[in-house]
Amino acid sequence: MQKINRNVVLALLSLTSLVFLLFQVCYYKFYVSQKNGAAFSKGRGSQSGQDSTRWHVVRKFLGLISSHNIPVYLIDPLILGLVDKDIEQIRSSPDGPSPECKYFCAPRDFTTFALLDKTWKHEVGLFRTAEKMGFQWLKIINKDPRLDGMDDLSGMEIPLHYILKLASHAIHLVVFYERSGNYLWHGPLRLKQHMDRKFVPFRKLHFGRYPGAYEKPELLRVSIDDLKVQIPKNPSSFLEEMSHSRFLECRYREARAFFQLYPDDASFDAVEFRKKAKSLLHLAALTLNNLGVKFWLSSGTCLGWYRQCNVIPHSKDVDLGIFIRDYKAEIIPAFQKVGLPLKHKFGKVEDSLELSFQGEDDVKLDIFFFYEEDDHVWNGGTQAKSGKKFKYLFPKFTLCWTEFVELKVHVPCETLQYVEANYGPDWKVPVKAWDWKSSPSNVQNNGVWPVDEWDDVIQIY
Amino acid sequence: MDEWKPNPAVKSHKKRSWYLAWKYKLMNQRALRKLCQTGAVLFLLVTVIVNIKLILDTRRAAYEEEEESAQDYDDEMLNVEVPRHPVNNKKVLDVEVYSSRSKVYVAVDGTTVLEDEAREQGRGIHVIVLNQATGHVMAKRVFDTYSPHEDEAMVLFLNMVARGRILIFTIKDEGSFHLKDTAKNLLKSLGSQVAPFLSWRDMWTFVGKKGGEVYGEKHAKSPALSTWGDPVLLKTEVHLTSVEDAECHWPDTELNRRRKRFCSKVEGYGSVCSCKDPTPIEFNPDPLKDNKVFDVPVAVIAGNRPNYLYRMLRSLLSAQGVNPQMITVFIDGYYEEPMDVVELFGLSGIQHTPISIKNARVSQHYKASLTATFNLFPDAKFAVVLEEDLDISVDFFSFLSQSIHLLEEDESLYCISAWNDQGYEHTAEDPSLLYRVETMPGLGWVLRKNLYKDELEPKWPTPEKLWDWDMWMRMPEQRKGRECIIPDISRSYHFGIVGLNMNGYFHEAYFKKHKFNTVPNVQLKNVESLRKDAYETEIHRLLGEAEVLDHSKNPCEDSFVPDTEGKVYVMFIRMEQEADFTTWTQLAKCLHIWDLDVRGNHKGLWRLFRKKNHFLVVGVPASPYSSKKPSSVTPIYMEPPAKEEGAVAVPAVAAAEQT
Repeated sequence: MQKINRNVVLALLSLTSLVFLLFQVCYYKFYVSQKNGAAFSKGRGSQSGQDSTRWHVVRKFLGLISSHNIPVYLIDPLILGLVDKDIEQIRSSPDGPSPECKYFCAPRDFTTFALLDKTWKHEVGLFRTAEKMGFQWLKIINKDPRLDGMDDLSGMEIPLHYILKLASHAIHLVVFYERSGNYLWHGPLRLKQHMDRKFVPFRKLHFGRYPGAYEKPELLRVSIDDLKVQIPKNPSSFLEEMSHSRFLECRYREARAFFQLYPDDASFDAVEFRKKAKSLLHLAALTLNNLGVKFWLSSGTCLGWYRQCNVIPHSKDVDLGIFIRDYKAEIIPAFQKVGLPLKHKFGKVEDSLELSFQGEDDVKLDIFFFYEEDDHVWNGGTQAKSGKKFKYLFPKFTLCWTEFVELKVHVPCETLQYVEANYGPDWKVPVKAWDWKSSPSNVQNNGVWPVDEWDDVIQIY
Repeated sequence: MDEWKPNPAVKSHKKRSWYLAWKYKLMNQRALRKLCQTGAVLFLLVTVIVNIKLILDTRRAAYEEEEESAQDYDDEMLNVEVPRHPVNNKKVLDVEVYSSRSKVYVAVDGTTVLEDEAREQGRGIHVIVLNQATGHVMAKRVFDTYSPHEDEAMVLFLNMVARGRILIFTIKDEGSFHLKDTAKNLLKSLGSQVAPFLSWRDMWTFVGKKGGEVYGEKHAKSPALSTWGDPVLLKTEVHLTSVEDAECHWPDTELNRRRKRFCSKVEGYGSVCSCKDPTPIEFNPDPLKDNKVFDVPVAVIAGNRPNYLYRMLRSLLSAQGVNPQMITVFIDGYYEEPMDVVELFGLSGIQHTPISIKNARVSQHYKASLTATFNLFPDAKFAVVLEEDLDISVDFFSFLSQSIHLLEEDESLYCISAWNDQGYEHTAEDPSLLYRVETMPGLGWVLRKNLYKDELEPKWPTPEKLWDWDMWMRMPEQRKGRECIIPDISRSYHFGIVGLNMNGYFHEAYFKKHKFNTVPNVQLKNVESLRKDAYETEIHRLLGEAEVLDHSKNPCEDSFVPDTEGKVYVMFIRMEQEADFTTWTQLAKCLHIWDLDVRGNHKGLWRLFRKKNHFLVVGVPASPYSSKKPSSVTPIYMEPPAKEEGAVAVPAVAAAEQT
């Protein structure tokens, strides 16, 4: 009897759970279909409800912004990736009807658009209309970084991101600001205390984890999936730019503290040097950017940026770093062409290459080439009279954008480690007497150049 | 669940017999039975897991939806709650007002809203306006009614305050000497019993509602001329009304929302808060055709003179071709009221923590404002710099639009300014005429970005140097021989009479009679001739055509210039070297133009109008134009007055210019 009971109980339970399971499945199906039912409206042929929801939300959004005359452009990496595959076809027939919903129906949670701040101002009306159309929206505001470098100015907070949600899809509108240095900047997305953390799955957003810096894009008006949108003219280069767009703000607060400890040098010489260093850096950046060579602020120039957000007036040169893999033979002639003659060249492409160009009035442009190893990177130094070689070791780093003397330039993202490697833990204290052979804390002796190579690896002009 | 629960009982009975039959068949197949049992348990487990997952999923979906609707609900609740709170609680405010010789204070519900015990300032009648619904301070003023005309200002102010507001008065030191009958009658009409009899050094406090009840009044008479009345302390209660009663019912538009916010916070701006017929806060002046300064940022430098700022922004926003998006107001200090004014007009404002003191504070504020302007508008090549105490001419932007290309193309230019230092009612005539001058007038001017970024910003005076920014900019080290372009008739008007370097007397003497252009769309006539070399040709042409005046006459006399119109006259004065302005200063003095330092000169030449004739003054022999002097003419020399006066006057007011 005992055994029978057990079997009976088991069978009974199985049956119950089966029935319950069926019930649950039915209920779930019913519930989900009901929830999405509203968004179905005019389904596009074979598309399933979810897909057409996305398309409809984008269409509504585009209608909304065009009714308010706000020029936005598409920067959604997913859609731009799809668009890029067919870019030739899209370019050639910008107004052609599309047979199927290929792009805007692709599965995703968001569609991301960009908005140039200076092209609009009247947000009140826009969001009122949006609400009428059924959008829920969220605005993320924060401090204006363009005033961050200023002593104690407090402006109004500026909008950095907007998220508009309709049914199961959301539009992420990233506001881009023009900044000194002729580039566009977008801010990080940070939720304030009272904000609804579940408004959308914020973690899945493509923009906003970090601030970003971009060139002003050339735009192209196209029609994709029967919707007229503006996209970057060259989606693939935009996507490439996006992958390295992280921006670091200068540490203005720390720089102010530094200047309180060590008042800034406002002497005539200091002002003049800064002016020359700035124009030399602008010229170097222009030249290297034209060649497509990626460079970053190194050594003293990097320290100046990190510590005081300015050129260190008692440094005597401008220092840049370039990965040796980005080396191009055209670098030297290009600099000569813009009026910067080669002053010296140490090392060779295979080992310890270093170039130095003569700028205006004794201000020198030093370019150090960095060699990558498995766990570190290094650049070389050469003492002209003895042929001694030195090696400066750095931990590995990636590159971020920043703004320096009205220029958008790269710096190592891991700036502190980079500066500490170079200048030791006391980098915060200004040192006027600096010996490049012994002062850096990351210097190593690296032997001597063979005498027969000297003509090649030690060239002084 | 209800559907299937009763069923198992029935089903299980049937199942039981089915099971028994099955059991008999497989009695001996124990292994199989075991297998079935395990299978059943496994199946059970799986279904339980799937079930739990399904439940969770469904619940989450439902929860999300619920949350969304709950949020909507929250929002609505919030909107309802705000007005309800004060409606239901008729609150009472405790007000304490103190009046004495050396100290006044006002406390509302225990919070001190006014406290002034500084020596030698704050004399007169202090007035505080409270919102009758919220009890917030809407305006705070002091009228030094010991001095003349201040009582008129008080009357003006009190008339502007809306009916129903709560007014608090208290006297510090002395407030009756120049309190005329008009003011006394107004105070009486507000319900004061004492005001008509206020006399020398009396102490007085009064709290009342405009056009309504009196909450309290206290008075202490001064027993003798040489002493003050005893301090008085008035404690009283004020009943708050509902918000609805305190507000106007304007149509609900974006503009009126801004207006409402403004009017519930501050008082003393007259008809902008009028319920019946509010003055507009959006002006929509005609756009300019081919406006070259539409994208030029405009920096308005402001302090804590919100009424000035209000007047200034009104005139600025009414000027043709204005682009409100490019305007930024920089407020020196964390003052609320100027910011309220900025928000009323829908402009953007930036507050600046004051650095240093006096002139250096102004100078640091200028630097921060200019740097911020070029940061905020990185594309801009220029910035227009304005101050809060200027009226802006209707053709201000048209004037700049026509001349700004010169600043871009002519390296010898330092700025374009809307202000002619020598352009008084009796010395300026031609709205289409421009000059080149070696002095920088300021007061509404255009700054080139590269001049600021490359030259001025890096060596701007540091906070410890108590310099005037404009004096510094006029120094030869900065100006480097460059010149500014100015109009004959100023495109700005300096109306400020309180300020760092400004007082009523000074304003009346030097600024009140300044000519200000009110003609729209003036077509400037000699723009191209303002380039460096072209201007010399132009001057030579002018001098060639000019009639030499009779140098035997007194140049200060009106008869020195004949009673003609539209002619060009020239006179020659003695000017030994470039920096010798002895005679010019005397001439400027008697012509009643700017004589505190030298302004408006171009290579020893001054251009102005007298009796509607163009009037040129050439300094001989320092000026290169001296060659135009006929040999028969002896340059006029004018003796400076006795030493003491000149020595004191010049340095004392040299700094007193812009505030």
